[in-house]
Amino acid sequence: MSPVLSVTGYTLSYRTRSGLRRALSDITLDIAPGETLGLVGASGSGKSSLAWSILRMLPGNAQEGRGQIALAGQDLRMLTRRQLAALRGRRIGMVFQDPSTALNPSMRLGDQVAEVLIRHQRLNNRDAAIQAEAWLARTGLPHPRAIMDRYPHQVSGGEKQRVVIATAFACRPELIIFDEPTTALDVITGARILDLFAELRAETPVASLYISHDLALVGRIADRVAVLEAGRIVEQGPARDVLRAPRTATTRRLLDAIPDPAHRLSGPPPPAAPLLALNDVTVTYGRASAFGQLLGAPAPVQGARHLTLALNQGEILGIVGESGSGKSTLARALTGIAPFTGQVVFANRRMTGTDRMDRAWHRDIQIIFQNPDASLNPRHRIRTILGRPLRLYAPASPAEIEAGIIAMLEEVGLPAAYASRHPHELSGGEKQRVAIARAFAAAPKLVICDEITSALDVVVQADIARLLIALQARHGTACLFITHDLNLVRQLAHRVAVMYRGDVVDVFDATDFATADRHLYTQALLSAVSRL
Amino acid sequence: MTAGWLLRRLGTIVLVLLIVSFTVFGITQLLPGNAAVMILGEFATADQRHAMELAMGLNDPWYQQYGHWLGNILRGDWGMSAGLSRPVASLVGDALGRSAILAGATLVTVCLVATPIGVAGALLRGTVFDLVIGLVAYLGASVPEFVTATLLLVVVAGPDTGWLPAGGFTPAADGLGQFALHMVLPVATLSLILVAHLSRQIRSEMGEVLGSDYIRAAQVKGLTRTRIVLVHALRNALAPAVAVLSLDVGYLLGGILVVEEVFAWPGLGRLLIYAVQNRDLVVMQAATLVMAAAYTMSNLAADIIIAKLDPRVHYA
Repeated sequence: MSPVLSVTGYTLSYRTRSGLRRALSDITLDIAPGETLGLVGASGSGKSSLAWSILRMLPGNAQEGRGQIALAGQDLRMLTRRQLAALRGRRIGMVFQDPSTALNPSMRLGDQVAEVLIRHQRLNNRDAAIQAEAWLARTGLPHPRAIMDRYPHQVSGGEKQRVVIATAFACRPELIIFDEPTTALDVITGARILDLFAELRAETPVASLYISHDLALVGRIADRVAVLEAGRIVEQGPARDVLRAPRTATTRRLLDAIPDPAHRLSGPPPPAAPLLALNDVTVTYGRASAFGQLLGAPAPVQGARHLTLALNQGEILGIVGESGSGKSTLARALTGIAPFTGQVVFANRRMTGTDRMDRAWHRDIQIIFQNPDASLNPRHRIRTILGRPLRLYAPASPAEIEAGIIAMLEEVGLPAAYASRHPHELSGGEKQRVAIARAFAAAPKLVICDEITSALDVVVQADIARLLIALQARHGTACLFITHDLNLVRQLAHRVAVMYRGDVVDVFDATDFATADRHLYTQALLSAVSRL
Repeated sequence: MTAGWLLRRLGTIVLVLLIVSFTVFGITQLLPGNAAVMILGEFATADQRHAMELAMGLNDPWYQQYGHWLGNILRGDWGMSAGLSRPVASLVGDALGRSAILAGATLVTVCLVATPIGVAGALLRGTVFDLVIGLVAYLGASVPEFVTATLLLVVVAGPDTGWLPAGGFTPAADGLGQFALHMVLPVATLSLILVAHLSRQIRSEMGEVLGSDYIRAAQVKGLTRTRIVLVHALRNALAPAVAVLSLDVGYLLGGILVVEEVFAWPGLGRLLIYAVQNRDLVVMQAATLVMAAAYTMSNLAADIIIAKLDPRVHYA
């Protein structure tokens, strides 16, 4: 059968201030009707560039070299802007990584699906709405009629992604590009989106290009896999072969980076010496004033309720749960960002609120955030960022502080020269290393890691995880490791706490995961992971 | 938007107006430099002053004076203007109507002119058009109203040209043509700075929206450029622009003071200046209060418009 998409010898560069930077070199790949090709690579390997090349939506500084991109034999590079606009949405669809940014916040969801039908199939508003509703129903949305009239912020992430999928499929395109469609979703939702993907694929003859950094995931859903490194396809073949018998070091590295619960990163649990105990801790957001309550202001929301948890010195406690389950709320209470009721005992100090948390408390409990772009001040040099905790928490001479900064950089595997750089001159993984260094610079007793690897690709995630464990073991620091990645937490944590809608529903040893008497939610979580 | 929110919001407005009224009253009637002296002038005899003080109740404790004054205002008894021999309520009411015409026409003009300029600027970012518009906007924003007004007067309404009336107000009932012609110069003067400000704002908001993921998604859907810009981008760029515009209303009220005086437009601003010059205390107090009320209400209107534009904004 002749391929739907056929890329031959395609080369792409970007003009940058430091000259021409090659993004894709001599890319050749085909996708047959009904086939799924998984495109795998670390971030920066050129996956997205290829997607935008196919869609002919490259940025202004792109400079294309030789090669052809053909859809059903027609060279897309020869088409005019008008022809391309008539083709996008009708013959090529796309499902984006983050459904919360891919939908227009001020437009009803029904209209966002219907507009492709109005545009490409020349339907009138009513027929388009009927078809749009049918597609929403087809993607498994329980109340399509109601969803039609909602705005994006009124539905969940998984529901939004179903709307995006309905839009991509609405005109029955020949090719759909999936750009990491489950990365921004939590585990269970992601697994259900993958189920939907499999169903729709079985029903329609659409060819799919599935982009991901997760080789394990792609291996399970793709027919064939192409591995990309630095803009080149280094390996391409049937998914089973690539996964079982990788021929290149790149593929092996990607495979090794996949978190494997059987391969533990941390040592045995430390002896029981209590460090932290939460007793009946409740966090409430949005306190209404008396005047407001009188006039019917909204009731406050409980972010976490009646939490009771304990942590030993040097222990790693994993905290898992879907977004909104209260994981981060817990971190905010312990660091004094969110006011709480109840009792926290930490290093023999008892707190019943945030107002008595002093400098010693804040030094002893450090937090590392998910997104280093937001947590590192972009105007400060790394020296300033790392120097601050050193200066703040231990009086030292300038020479000692400088030595401390260099030592911290070395400890997190960064060259000393980075001290003079700004955060934007570092890669995502390097920035997160700086954030880790900053947390450990204060010599804390407890480090809270709030989804610190979820913005990073698998390979970098594995490095960061190993680094964290090494530091934690060396300094004897206890750690609350908040994540939605069950496999990762099983590699790292000594014990795992599962949170669900503001409650801790399960606490157990990480090695003792798959027993039967787990909470229903924990079981759902486990089965979602095994399906991925 | 809930009824509770609206009630609370109106409650805040009442509170703000109470504070304004107290400040206005305090400055005009309570502070030393005696209101009676202010009204009678420095050459009045001690007896005249005494009689005036008694008549105005200036010897009562301040809270009694304030309560009495506020009570009258709330009952609709705004007093008589000493200089103009007319009830203040009708005086201020007429002036408010004429100023509202000016302000309303200005806001409409600003929106109609600034929106296309801002959108074009965002679409043509970095081109000659964008640069020229940017430069003109800077100039426009940096020239104060009294300079613009004078320049316009000299150039298009001076004795040499006389294309437009140099000032004054003709009621709409006396002919729409003259009514409109008299509005051109004051509205143009008031609009200039606001157009400069708002178009810059829309340009930057629009630029941000055009770079967002959902605009890319709209392109991937194959939508036409017109639809992407007008339906998908503009609405999301306008909500923040309305917030800026609502702050600009404060600026507009200040501008009205200058522009009405220059173009002899018989509105609130001119009335206020007259009252200050002629020590017409009651008129001064009433005009200030009405201006404060107009500002708070326009802010409320902006909040409601923003909620209509952006479904994520939900007042509860």
